[in-house]
Amino acid sequence: MNLASIDSAATRGESWLHKAAPWAKLSAFALVLAAVIVNWNLLVLAAIGLLLAAVVASSRAPAGLAFSLALYPAIFAAIFAVSAAPDVITGAVIILKAVVAALAAVTMMLTTPYPQVFAPLQRLVPAIVGDALLMTYRSTFLLLGKFANLMTAMRLRAGVTAGRPLRTARSTARALAGTLLYSIDLAQRDHDIMRLRGYESRLRVTAVRSASVPVDVALVAVAAGVAAASTASRVWAETLNPYTWIAPAVGALLLVAVITIGRKSR
Amino acid sequence: MSHIHIPDGVLPVWLWVLGWVAAMALVGIASRFAIAEDHRRKVPLLGVIAALMLVAMSSEIIPIAYHVNLTVLGGVLLGPVLAPIAAFVVVTALALVGHGGVTVIGLNTVVIAAEMLIGWALFRTITRALGRRRASIAAFAATVPTLALTTLLLVGIVWLGGGKELTARETGALDPADMRFENPLGDGVFVAKLFAGDEHAHDHGAGGHEHDAAEEPCTDTHAGGCGEACEDEAAATLSVGRFAAVVFTLGPIGWLLEGLIIAAIIGFVARVRPSLVFEGALAENRAAIPGDETGAHR
Repeated sequence: MNLASIDSAATRGESWLHKAAPWAKLSAFALVLAAVIVNWNLLVLAAIGLLLAAVVASSRAPAGLAFSLALYPAIFAAIFAVSAAPDVITGAVIILKAVVAALAAVTMMLTTPYPQVFAPLQRLVPAIVGDALLMTYRSTFLLLGKFANLMTAMRLRAGVTAGRPLRTARSTARALAGTLLYSIDLAQRDHDIMRLRGYESRLRVTAVRSASVPVDVALVAVAAGVAAASTASRVWAETLNPYTWIAPAVGALLLVAVITIGRKSR
Repeated sequence: MSHIHIPDGVLPVWLWVLGWVAAMALVGIASRFAIAEDHRRKVPLLGVIAALMLVAMSSEIIPIAYHVNLTVLGGVLLGPVLAPIAAFVVVTALALVGHGGVTVIGLNTVVIAAEMLIGWALFRTITRALGRRRASIAAFAATVPTLALTTLLLVGIVWLGGGKELTARETGALDPADMRFENPLGDGVFVAKLFAGDEHAHDHGAGGHEHDAAEEPCTDTHAGGCGEACEDEAAATLSVGRFAAVVFTLGPIGWLLEGLIIAAIIGFVARVRPSLVFEGALAENRAAIPGDETGAHR
């Protein structure tokens, strides 16, 4: 999982979705997640997935990264589905729920910098938890860099080789231990810097202003529509089930249209 | 393996809401204790240990759907007060990149926090019994039973929420016995009834009782019975037994791997910086900057 690439996509992108207000994206994410939670129809879930794919395409977020991240939970969901689902269809629904919910989360994270996602959370959780979320975000990239450098050094000194798994495991554990020692020193240095800069009890995140309020409202309205449609298809399933094939068909058309328009505009 | 990779919308609402309530209570209590003393020092420490766990948890070993957690290591370094906060931070950050559902953040926090607390307690106890020179053995001996216990907790959570029957309404349009695709714009343009959609109302003979699987979940108390259909629907539940069998078959491989890795890390750190392992990360470098010995600026 390339956390650095996620951060890069979120901070460097300039699409309509990158410019939308974080509150709008968080609200839309919550509504789409609700749509995934309430529904057990494979076709409706596929339609939501296609809609999200269209959003990814229109936002010019790295599609390969988005879909590889969204497919990652499918591995774990498949274990649960194979072991617990009563039939193939239910198993497929469980896997699709995992993939579509992950795609919604990843779409938000690829278009919104982490601190902007954590800022609303900071108001809900105790100060130490909110600050720890932000410090974790910062430290993750430092540790990833350090760990990668250590592994490169070990590989150059033949400490990590495919033919010697035991030696490789021992080297990897030592690299992790080295990273741990580095991380403790890093924490001490952060502490000293925070003390010097007068940190008392809360790190502040500056809120990003919306580029266009109508776009924010439209984003939330579409997400609310998806949640309402998903709920309706569950509540009136007996009547609507024969027509749910329309949803993925519309989603597929939308995706093709977005991709075509995107190619022409380049 | 021990934290929940169950997607959003599979566990019942009451269960994941209860998980959120329990997690918030746990994190709230831990925060109260944590801010009582040396608050500024704990924030960066929490950040780096949570980041280390995050880096470990986001690297999967695909063939057995397993990844290293480093939770026991985190518990040993952070101690019981900071462990629940680190658990919440890690689980939230992972859920935001699609690793574990958002709704199960609460339940995952409880499981991970339990793992860190049990690991910490077992490591302390075993180290006291074996002595400091056998730190890596103590780490291995603490990690394996901790992971076994939290996997049991995971199965317990699935058992609490997974036994619910899935109704015909839930399985939706793609029940092979009832697969129909119809045109909403008018009769007769096209109606494709795959798998003989009209015949899904089964006639069960004797009393001529028709049980429509798509219309109602079977609660069979009807005279004459609807044996076969009811058996099919009774089977339409999440199989907790099968899930437990799979988890407890794959789990031990992961427990051993994690145990060996944590033993190697703790063994190494115990040699080069023992106070970190035996007294916790907060015991390190207690020296204060001259003029700031009292802590926060007031």
